Parts: sequence; structure tokens; C-alpha cells
Amino acid sequence: MTEKAIEAKKKGQKKSSEDYTYVGMVFHRLTRHKLAMAGVFMLIFIVLFVFVGPLIWRLDPNAQIEGLNGLFNPASRAHPMGTDDYGRDVLARMFFGGRISLFIGFASAITSTLLGAVVGLVAGYYGGWADNILMRFTDAMLSIPTFPLLIALASVFGKGVWQIILVIVVFGWMVDARLVRGLVLSLKEQEYVEAARAIGASANRIMWRHLFPNTLAVLIVSTTIGIGGNIIYEASISFLGFGVQAPFASWGNMLQNAQQFIWNSPRLIIYPGLAIFMTVLGFNFFGDGLRDAIDPKLKL
Amino acid sequence: MDNREVLVDIKNLRTFFYTEDGVVPAVDGIDLTIHRGEVVGLVGESGCGKSVTALSIIRLIPNPPGKIIGGEIFFHGEDLLKKNEEDMRVIRGDKISMIFQEPMTSLNPVYTIGDQISEAITLHQKIDAAEAKKRTIEMIRLVGIPEPERRFSQYPHEMSGGMRQRVMIAMALSSNPDLLISDEATTALDVTIQAQILDLMRGLQKKLGMAILIITHNLAVVAEMAETIAIAYAGKIVENASAKEIFKSPRHPYTYGLLQSIPKFTEKKTNEPLPAIEGMVPSPYHMPKGCRFNPRCPFATEKCREEEPEILELTPGHLVRCFHPIES
Amino acid sequence: MRDYIIRRVLGMIPLILIVMIVSFGIFSLVPNPFAALIENPRIKRSDIQRLVKAWGFDLPWYLRFFKWFSGVIRGDWGPSLLYPGSTARDVIARRLPVTMRVMGLELLVSLVIALPIGIISAVKQYSMTDYVVTIFSFLGMSMPSFWLGLMMMMLFSVVLKRPSGVPLLPAGGIITPGLEQAPFWVKLGDRAQYLVMPVFVLSFLSIGYYARYMRSSMLEVVRQDYIRTARAKGVPERSVINKHALRNAMIPIVTLIALSVPGIVGGAAITETIFNIPGMGSLIIQAEIKADYPTAMIGLMLSSVLVIVFNLVADIVYAWVDPRIKYS
Repeated sequence: MTEKAIEAKKKGQKKSSEDYTYVGMVFHRLTRHKLAMAGVFMLIFIVLFVFVGPLIWRLDPNAQIEGLNGLFNPASRAHPMGTDDYGRDVLARMFFGGRISLFIGFASAITSTLLGAVVGLVAGYYGGWADNILMRFTDAMLSIPTFPLLIALASVFGKGVWQIILVIVVFGWMVDARLVRGLVLSLKEQEYVEAARAIGASANRIMWRHLFPNTLAVLIVSTTIGIGGNIIYEASISFLGFGVQAPFASWGNMLQNAQQFIWNSPRLIIYPGLAIFMTVLGFNFFGDGLRDAIDPKLKL
Repeated sequence: MDNREVLVDIKNLRTFFYTEDGVVPAVDGIDLTIHRGEVVGLVGESGCGKSVTALSIIRLIPNPPGKIIGGEIFFHGEDLLKKNEEDMRVIRGDKISMIFQEPMTSLNPVYTIGDQISEAITLHQKIDAAEAKKRTIEMIRLVGIPEPERRFSQYPHEMSGGMRQRVMIAMALSSNPDLLISDEATTALDVTIQAQILDLMRGLQKKLGMAILIITHNLAVVAEMAETIAIAYAGKIVENASAKEIFKSPRHPYTYGLLQSIPKFTEKKTNEPLPAIEGMVPSPYHMPKGCRFNPRCPFATEKCREEEPEILELTPGHLVRCFHPIES
Repeated sequence: MRDYIIRRVLGMIPLILIVMIVSFGIFSLVPNPFAALIENPRIKRSDIQRLVKAWGFDLPWYLRFFKWFSGVIRGDWGPSLLYPGSTARDVIARRLPVTMRVMGLELLVSLVIALPIGIISAVKQYSMTDYVVTIFSFLGMSMPSFWLGLMMMMLFSVVLKRPSGVPLLPAGGIITPGLEQAPFWVKLGDRAQYLVMPVFVLSFLSIGYYARYMRSSMLEVVRQDYIRTARAKGVPERSVINKHALRNAMIPIVTLIALSVPGIVGGAAITETIFNIPGMGSLIIQAEIKADYPTAMIGLMLSSVLVIVFNLVADIVYAWVDPRIKYS
């Protein structure tokens, strides 16, 4: 009862300050979430680093600047993070590698969430055999260890950025599909959907105009958390040698390249790894706060 | 006046909740006396602090965010608020028991009925398992559940809401408490089951003689059972008198409003709508100045909007917190 | 119950078929390895064609699937391309124990650590302990496993050395060469050194995941009405948590463990690659990029079946811990 009393009281208060919209409320809660704010600062830092950094530090990430004398240079004024095994400037490579890692993370997370949403919407809305087939397939995909298949696909499809995004999407939509299906199952019983159906709205319209917007909040949380996971996926694929190919940098392939020099140039491993770690941590912190702000009971 | 021994004496109890959005004075100076064997009704709308009062008595206010910040709760002459956690635990379920609103969720789904009742027994009485089982079955029979031996090994999900509430009562009474607190125990039940549970509680009270504090938003629930009724509004008691007095001559405008809003079947049919109390319960973050009921009170004056009335004994045993009590 | 298990096992068949077809379909995209041999002038065309035919690479992928599948039904998983002369089954069987050892230890270590800290973190929500657990959980969840592996290797195999100059922990492998014939205890101690880093890396990643989940599951349960009931009847706090809350909170954890198996296999693949462990994870990856589909398929099937069986076990455990679930 006390819990409910507090809830009721909270609601009473919310009514007295009507200016709280849904988005406003989520934002309000988010700003009070310490970890989420820490995540935001980390992400701002990373974004500034990879997007503004190259404007200030104008070195070609792929140029063998110092020639053959400049391999494995330690940190210096000319190269704050030193040079790598080809004498390239590590800092410049960190900028461009970060752009690629972030882009792959974003693009793959958004695409796979959308794909999952479509599957979940169709399965949940139509039910019956469509649901049965789609969910069986989803369950099967969930029980395959995706990582080895990811590698197989990456080894076939080639090493471009778009191909890697595609590969991650192929194995990344299942959780979202389940989530959206569950939401749709409960949403479609609600009166406003009944009403939309009663006035003859088409299935497509109901799905996209009435059901989909109600799953958006959850999908945004899922995408945020997904970005972090996908950056790790990209890095893992690149680390095993099937990701973005040299000379283009990604944090993952910088690590892969550095692995063989672990004994004499450990800094080559530390920088890209730290960058991946911080980015993923930022997205996880932020995603966790976002989930708490939107719906703490969400299982993600 | 009641010359029975005083069992519970709550003095100026204040329990606040400290939420992100501000401080909620859920209970803000409640006084209440319960005598041995007395049935007291504590009535008010949701959010008036009645359940928080109950949880304060057994000291189960979730902290954070709740905290008892002041007052005294004497039980058998000892202040419960001064007791340490372990002493309090020994009292809970033994001398003071409580039953709750949601019979469907108040029992642990993974243990049998028998396990849960006998746990309450073995916690407070030094008896062996066989004895506890015998006593449990006795209790199940006492609360009117048929086939107690079979029910003993059933799980909560195999029972109806009414049956579960009977189990809760059996558990609460298993150690012969001096005080039973019933927090909206019948609210979630169907009307016929509600009547059965109230009958059961009344019968058991006669048989066992414990005092009962019935907490409800529904005056009709306490009408037949309570000897004394306290009306709570926005964290304070506004009127406290014998049940007879409350129903016959309510003095506080709020009590009057509550009584008016109960349908009466004895009167002739009219097409008049049932009178309701205007307005809303005030937001706990923004309590009105002066008398807390003034924004909703038809008799409010300038004084009511400025000053907060004290609770006064208008006639012997009849306490009212109002500048302009209704004439009897 | 028996009927339920039979029904569920039958239900697995379409699931496994889908897994087989999807995996096989993906593997079939890997180009025919014999095509490259044509460039080699010392190999006869007819020999190549014979090989291609023997392996089924002359057929479209679905016919090759049927060829492979009819063999599987007869218990013949086919020869290994990666290790000519061995059957795929033998190749996997040689590698499996190593992976099982690492995975089993990882699961054990992470659960033994994660579940208690998750529970403590929930019980003491918002305490210092809770914050530390939360931060560490996030660190673990956000750490790329291979990077953590490399960092550990740098620390324990490069920087830290024993007085004799030997690295504190071996950088990779599973046993010191030459010790294969040593007495059991010597071998055990030696192998343990090789396991420390891989098991630590894998556990560190999953501890956070399990602990977070345990924490939120526990928080959910602690808010339930029946926990309040237990406290109200005087159950000591320790058994409120260990007896009343834990059993309910463990229920969703069972499924979580089942669902995390594919991730463990994926993690094993990377960790085995870094630490040069001849296990099944790294084998699958080598096999698939060399188009050794028989070997890769067994590996994948093993882990998929493991997941499906784990799910079934989870459901059976559900029925055991939660009396509300009855399978009939």
C-alpha cells in the first residue's frame, strides 16, 4: 500500500505541474541518473575526439609519415600516441578508426532494431501461423552461436564497412523481434487499436501508425544498448582479421595489427582497446539510464 | 469513557516520505488510542495516511524513502519507536499481527499454505514441527477453511482470494496477538466474500478477544464492527468518536460528506444523485494552508484558510478538528 | 510431466532442422576450396574433379545438404577437410574436452561470484557496495574480451616475471610441453596455470551480466507483497532474503543461463584464439573459413543442441521451483 500511496502521490504531483510531457519526464529522470550522465559525458568526449580531433590534428592516417626510420616511434610532440609498424601516426588513425567503429555500431544497431521491429510487428499483429513460423525461426536463430557464423559470413562477404554492417544485422535482430512481438500482443488488445480496426484502418496502417510508435521508446533503449554491443562485434570480427581491411583503420583492426607487437609496443594495444572500452561503457551507462527513465522493468 | 486498559497509544506520530520530487508528510501528527479487546476503525480516502500509520505501528515503513520522524507509539506502555530491530521482530506476528489488502499476492507463491502458517507459529512459540503442524491445521479449521488437512499442503495459487485471505487471518492469529491490524483486508474481495471475511473477523474477535484496528476507505465496512472510529484526512485525524456518535451525529464536515456519499437502501427511492465531496485530495507536496480540508469544505471561512485547527473534545469522547463543527 | 518432456523433445526437431539449414546455407557461401587447386600445375584435373565430387562441391548447396544430412542420420558426420584422414567427429572429439573445461569453469566461477554479489547489491540497494558492484558489472559488460585478454597477457606474461625469469603465467597453450607424461598432480597444477587467464577473462565478462540480472530480479521480488507479509509475521531479515525472496528471484536466472550459452561459445572462440588454446571454439572458426563444413557443422550443432537442451532443462527446473507451473 505504501508503494502505491507514494505512486499515487507522485501522480498527484505530476498533475499539478502539467508542463511535464512524456519526453520531458524521461529527460528529467535521465538527468538525475548519475551513470547515464557519466555515459553522456564519455560519449560527448568520444564524439568530439573522433569528429573534431581530425580538424585540429591534420595528419593523414594512412601516410607513412616518417618513412622507414619512424616505425614504432614512442609518443612524442610530433606523434602524441607514437607511430605504428608502418610509421603511421597512431593518433590520426585513432580518429578515423573511431569514425568507422562508431558508424558501424550506429548503423547496424538501428538497422537490426528496425528489422526486428518489422518481424515482431508482423508476428504479433497477425498471430497464427505467421507468428508461429517467424517465432520458430527467431528461436532457432537465438540458439545458434552467432559469433562463428558472423565470422563465416564476414569471410565470404568481404571486408567493407557496409558488408560488416549487413553481417551484424543478420544476427542482431532476434531480441528486438521478441520484444516488439510481446509489446504488440498486449497493445493490439487495447481499445484504440480496436477502434482503428473498427473504422476500417488497414493492417499496415494499424501496424505503423498505431502500434509501432508505442514500441519506439523500448526500441530506442534497445538500440542504444545495441550500439555498444555491435562496436564490440565489429572489433571482434576485425580482430580475427575479417573486418575492415588495411590500410583503412578501425579500432578493431588496429588491435589485431598490434597483437603481434605486444612484446615490444604494448601502447599500440592500449589506445584502441581503451577507446572501444570507453565508447561501449558510455553506451551501456546511457542505455541503462534511458531504460530506467522509460521503464525500469524492461528486460534488456 | 472506556475503562479498559490502554493497549496502543499513538501520540503525534509523524511519518514522512522523502522522494525525488519532494517530501511527503504521509502521516503528520496522528493520535490514536486502542484499548484491550477494542475494535477501532481508521477511515479515510486513499493517501490520507491510514496505511502508513499501520505500517508505522509494526515499523515496516520502507526506508528509504519513508521514515518515522516523530511521535511515540506506546504498546503495553512501551514505546515501539524506541525498540531495536530484533525486539521489534519478536513483537511482529506475535503480539501484533497484520493482514493486507491483496490476498492474491500476499502469500509466497513457492511455499505451501501449511509451511507459511507453521512458520509464523514456530517463529514465536517453542514447539516442535509435529506440534506446529497440529496447531496449523487447527488454525486453518478455525478460519473456516474446509478440509484443513488437505489444504495444509496446497499452494496459494490453488486457492481463491477469499480463501487466501482466510489463510492470512489464520497466520496472523496463530500466536494469539493482542492487536490485529487489518489494512483494507476486504477491499479487493467480492462483496459477498467481503461480508464473509468480516463475519469471520468479528466471530474470531469475540472468541479470542484481541483488539483490531480496521483500516478502510469504506465506512460501511466498520459500521457494524468498530466500537470507535477515527476519520483521517491528509495525514491527520479529523474526528474521533464512538461508532454510534460518528454515524448519528458527525461533527466534522468531512465525516459528514463521507456519510452522505454512502447509498442508503432504507430510504425511499429518489432520483437525486448521491452527494459527493467536491474537489480532490490535496497533493501531498502542496498541502493547503490552514485547515487541510478547507478547499473542499462548504463551511470554510477566512479563518479556516489561515489557521490550522486543533483537535478538541467537543463532548465527552468526541474529538473534532474543526473551527466550525456541525451542530449535533 | 513425461508427456511434456516428450512433446518438448519432439518440438526441438524443427528447431534443430532450422538451425542446420541456416548454418549449412551460410557455410555453403564459403567458396569451394578445391577450385584454387586448379592453379597448381602439379595436380591433375581429374584428381581435383574427383575431390570436388567426393565432397559434394559439384552439387548445389541444398543437394549437398541432403547428401550431408542423410549421412548424419546414419551417424556419419563426414570426413574433415582441415585434418585430412580424420573424420570430422574425431577432430571435434579431440578438441571438445578443452573447451568444455574452460566453459564449465567459466560458468561455475562467474555464477559463484555473480549471484551472491547480485543479491547483496539488491538487498543493500544504493549502498556503497551496490555502487561498486554496479560499476564493476558495467566494466565487465563493456570490455572487449580480446582486449582484456591481451592486457592480461601483457601484465602476467610480459611485465610480471617470477624470480627465475619465467613469466608469472604462461601466455598461451594448455600444458607445458614435456609434462604430458608427468604425474597427475603435477599435470593438474600445470594445466591450472594455463587456465587462469582464459577463465578469468571469460568470467569477468559474464559476472557483470549475471550480477546485474540477479540484482534486478531480486529487487523485483523484494518489492512483492509476500515479502512484506513475511516481515510482518516476524521472519528475521536473513531468512526473508534467503528463504522467501531468493527462491522466487532465482526462477528467471535459470532461463538466463540457458540463453547465455551461445554467447559463451562465441566468447570461447575468441579467447581460444588469443590464448592459443586448441579448443572447439577456435576450431570452428578455422574450419568454416577453410570450407570444412562437416567439422564446423558438428561444432555448431553441438552448441545449438546444448542451448535447446538447456532451455528444456530450464523449463523443467521452473516447474520444480515454481509450484504454479504444471506441465501436462
